Amino acid sequence: MKAIAVTGVHFTYDDGTEALSGVDFHVSEGEFVAVLGSNGSGKTTLIGLLVGLLKAKSGRIAIGGQEIGSLSAEELYKRVGLVFQNPNDQLFAATVEEDVAFGPRNLNLPEEEVQARVTEVLTAVAALPLRGRAIHHLSFGEQKRVSLAGVLAMRPAVLILDEPTAGLDPAGEAQMMQLLKKLNREERMTVILATHSVDMLPLFANRIYVLDRGRVLQQGPSEEIFCHQEMIVRAKLRLPYVSRLMYEMKRHDGVPIDGLPLTIGEARAQLLELIPKEMILPGIEEIGP
Amino acid sequence: MFDLFSDIFTYRDNALTRIDPRAKLVIALAALIAVLTAERVVLPLCVFGVCLGTVATLRIPAKLVTARLAAPLSIVAVLVVIQTFFTGTTPLFAFTVAGWHFTAKAEGLRQGALLGARVLGSVSVVFLLSVVTPAHRIFQAFRWFRISRNWLEIAILMYRYIFVLMDQVADLAAAQRLRLGYTARGRAMRSFTALAGSTIIHSLEQAKRTHDAMRLRGYRGTMPFGPLPALGRRDRLITALCLIGIVSARLLEWGVSK
Repeated sequence: MKAIAVTGVHFTYDDGTEALSGVDFHVSEGEFVAVLGSNGSGKTTLIGLLVGLLKAKSGRIAIGGQEIGSLSAEELYKRVGLVFQNPNDQLFAATVEEDVAFGPRNLNLPEEEVQARVTEVLTAVAALPLRGRAIHHLSFGEQKRVSLAGVLAMRPAVLILDEPTAGLDPAGEAQMMQLLKKLNREERMTVILATHSVDMLPLFANRIYVLDRGRVLQQGPSEEIFCHQEMIVRAKLRLPYVSRLMYEMKRHDGVPIDGLPLTIGEARAQLLELIPKEMILPGIEEIGP
Repeated sequence: MFDLFSDIFTYRDNALTRIDPRAKLVIALAALIAVLTAERVVLPLCVFGVCLGTVATLRIPAKLVTARLAAPLSIVAVLVVIQTFFTGTTPLFAFTVAGWHFTAKAEGLRQGALLGARVLGSVSVVFLLSVVTPAHRIFQAFRWFRISRNWLEIAILMYRYIFVLMDQVADLAAAQRLRLGYTARGRAMRSFTALAGSTIIHSLEQAKRTHDAMRLRGYRGTMPFGPLPALGRRDRLITALCLIGIVSARLLEWGVSK
């Protein structure tokens, strides 16, 4: 079943800027999909349409098989949740607990259920010790995790995130992506990620949509997307750094590499095949993918 | 500016932060009424002394105390001067400055001192409350007093976004300073005006984004609040003892005045 089905959607802002033109975008339940595009490509507009903040001029948007226009606000926000790029836009209560409880209380849940959800989601995002803290005393990374918890407390079937790793340090970025992977793989939550950061996507995304100037240039699994060099350049994007290195080694130095490795793990496996066995020291510690 | 809004001390663990905010609010209100209705300077000054002594015991930095009390102290100074020179009939002393003749009067000085003491006493009560209770817990306590939910909602949002806007203003001001925006009086005025305008625009944009975020989590025009726990026995006892103390002090002061 399709969690999200967007067909032939057009959107033009009041100032005449055509942000989306004829976009088709489909996501199945339990998928992890990335929307990749440069600034101004239409990612944020697409997200705005998916959560009902914007209304399409034409085309059809269905969430969980139902037209978005036919859903009440409560039904819609039980189905889709949006984590904003800047946590300050989203964290408006004085404390972490109050903020996370905001959504469940709006659903008129009994207070015991509200508290149970707060504990559950704060645990999930590794923020339980922050429960009683004031929002303005949190670090940026903590604010990001708390803003994710606030949306998770609504238990949406589809989780949409706008640049979830923007502004995070490498450790925070890795933590956030692992968290999303866990939600997707273990909780079977559908995850849609809008980003222009390409390095981590091959590790997490089942499929990638590439947007450019309001149109879908290509969609498919990451190995399919990143082998289209010209399209990547046209969309003002780049290959993951490890892929770029391997690509240049293959092109300029004639290193016999099969396909295009997209992750450090894949690149390492290919390089190990090319290095004579006697030069490799056994027992060196394992590295991640 | 940041000292003025700093609330890190309210999150410390001490005897006063552990008291229920409703109890603290009731005690503070009683102290305020006693101070504002005082007929002699003794009671307000005693309250001022007790509050400042408590603040010192809690090791609140002098910088923060100064920052928060600077404005009310200035008001007290102006009040005393105006009352002393413009009220009353019994002259105390006189002097002439640049052809202007000034006469201080006894009644005015008494009246000014009383008003000044009331301001100091009241401000110190509110100051003490603000360093032992986080703002959101004061808002929770206000709910107990049946204050309008809409007012509280606005207060909560204002309190939250003061810090966000302060960060933005600090960044913008630093960016202006780094490009020599404050090196001459005229330039500083223009920079400040631009900063103020930009802050208004930022706050409007922020309001729009925050409203969107609230809608996405089911907001329908009323912010939901969690239930208030029952007021504990210990807190009721503290409130009763403090109220007895305040009322006794006020009655004693009233008796002495008569």
